[in-house]
Amino acid sequence: MQRSFLAQNPSVLWFIACLAIFTAVVTVLSEAMGVGLISTSFVKTLGKTLCLCLIAIAMDVVWGYCGILSLGHFAFFGIGGYAIGMWLMYARTEKIVLESLSGQPIPPTTAEISDAIGNQIFGVVGSSEFPVIWAFADSLFLQLLMVVLVPGLLALVFGWLAFRSRVTGVYLSILTQAMTLALALYLFQNNSGLRGNNGLSGLQNIPGFAHLSQATVSLAFFTASAFALGAGHVFFAWVLSGKMGSVVEGIRDNEARVRFLGYHVESYKLFIFTTTAVVSGIAGALYYPQAGIINPGEIAPIASIYLAVWVAIGGRGRLYGAVIGAAAVSLVSSWFTGGGAPDINFGFYVIQWTDWWLVLLGFSFVAVTLFFPKGIGGLFDLLVRKQS
Amino acid sequence: MSMLLEVSGVSVTFDGFRAINNLSINFAPAELRAIIGPNGAGKTTFMDIVTGKTKPDEGRVIWGDKNISLLGLSESEIVMEGIGRKFQKPTVFEAQTVRQNLAMAVRAPRGPFAVLMHKKARRNAARIEAVAEQIGLSDSLTRIAGQLSHGQKQWLEIGMLLAQEPRLMLVDEPAAGMTPEEREKTTEILKEAAKTCAVVVVEHDMEFVRRLNCKVTVLHEGAVIAEGSLDHVTANQTVIDVYLGRSHA
Repeated sequence: MQRSFLAQNPSVLWFIACLAIFTAVVTVLSEAMGVGLISTSFVKTLGKTLCLCLIAIAMDVVWGYCGILSLGHFAFFGIGGYAIGMWLMYARTEKIVLESLSGQPIPPTTAEISDAIGNQIFGVVGSSEFPVIWAFADSLFLQLLMVVLVPGLLALVFGWLAFRSRVTGVYLSILTQAMTLALALYLFQNNSGLRGNNGLSGLQNIPGFAHLSQATVSLAFFTASAFALGAGHVFFAWVLSGKMGSVVEGIRDNEARVRFLGYHVESYKLFIFTTTAVVSGIAGALYYPQAGIINPGEIAPIASIYLAVWVAIGGRGRLYGAVIGAAAVSLVSSWFTGGGAPDINFGFYVIQWTDWWLVLLGFSFVAVTLFFPKGIGGLFDLLVRKQS
Repeated sequence: MSMLLEVSGVSVTFDGFRAINNLSINFAPAELRAIIGPNGAGKTTFMDIVTGKTKPDEGRVIWGDKNISLLGLSESEIVMEGIGRKFQKPTVFEAQTVRQNLAMAVRAPRGPFAVLMHKKARRNAARIEAVAEQIGLSDSLTRIAGQLSHGQKQWLEIGMLLAQEPRLMLVDEPAAGMTPEEREKTTEILKEAAKTCAVVVVEHDMEFVRRLNCKVTVLHEGAVIAEGSLDHVTANQTVIDVYLGRSHA
């Protein structure tokens, strides 16, 4: 009667197998392995895409399974990026400062070193003082802890307030938008302590690994992202496999019924909201060292809306659907906006895809919603049905 | 005799409209009771109060041997006290199987962590089989609830209540939209359930109430106007006036 978790969820095995093959192929063809069929910058793009797939899984869990249309999950993604970025920037600047000061006859004091680092980092916003939130920036371990703790706590507090007041549906979506907008606006300020609109940069240089080429570093991050995506997929598939999955889907389909079965619906929503926020933070912490820079624009409301579009196009309510949606749309998007798509010349008007891509994306979103509510992932249903 | 549920002096006002007006009503353990009354009599509001969905402006709702007030408890806590509720429209989880629907309802710890670590216990499996037997869905355990007929969905929802092992079941119009055969079966299920717990049925349909053959309480404008056997209350002049709409004449 009791079958193992993987036997009940064959799609998880398929997913892990595909991901493993994909990772192996990219690794073999990468510059770091000497073949170089896949350029380092493309390895970075692929690695970043895997991180986007991971946050798409989180979005699918919170929206596709639990029915909470959060339009603010990129805030958690950004916080994860900032948390790791602070350490990356601090540690690297410290190294540079120490090197430049080492030539002096009198060894610098700790205060002098700290001042010099502060000057380097906060010079752009006219400051040299370390804000309080940088207190742990010198410790990789503590900043890694921040990657999960800060998004988790923010989600916990926000979710507790919102769910306890029984805010649901579109009102909750607006609240989450407001949350990510408020955070972005705050970070845009120069005195926010995170360098205002300059954001954190130079994140692709990993302190302590300066001797390694970018090709090797990017491959390492690509592999780590693939691993995180695989782990995230298995984790959420497991969470949603048993009775928890029943209750969570029940909340999506009929919240009142779940409540009158004796379940404290708010606790479940909070659990899902917070867990997905933490996973989003982890995804962000892996993404931004590959992107090299993070600034407040990254957590503008539009980012979280794109996230919802990816999941809708990929197919809500199935984890691999979210992955397909995120990968397909973000890769196609960078092809169009990166000038990869040829312009269409009508003579009287030239369609430049850098401008028109958003229109195309909008149309595909409407088309998917109208004609394929199950998204791209729904195609697998047709495939399976044909076999049986 | 000690009462299972005592509602006394309860009043609720919605935007100036008195939905429940100084209502007092008691239920004994393991009794079958029908509540009838015209539209707007406050039947559903009464259920909302008992299940914690609506907080009354005044009055007391006292539950069980320990005389707990239900007014301070949340909806889920009230369910865990042993009060189950069936909605008017069949509300089952249509995307999930009958077994999953019942498994969610089976009495077990309801916290997120307990549910996450939940292992299918043999006791629970047996309970699910027993309930499925009682509601006549033994052969449909693996079916998706959305594919069930209207009547079967109603039974499944009653089954979900039974699986909770409640001490009081509030059942809102269980026979609505059912064929005569289905009504027959629903009556049996409810009568059987009333042997172990109190079952309160809110119903419009007099013929169905007659089948239940139990004590009847008539509500009108948020208060009890008559109580007793069906023949007794239907002979009552106030009840006749209310049902024929002459109360304000």
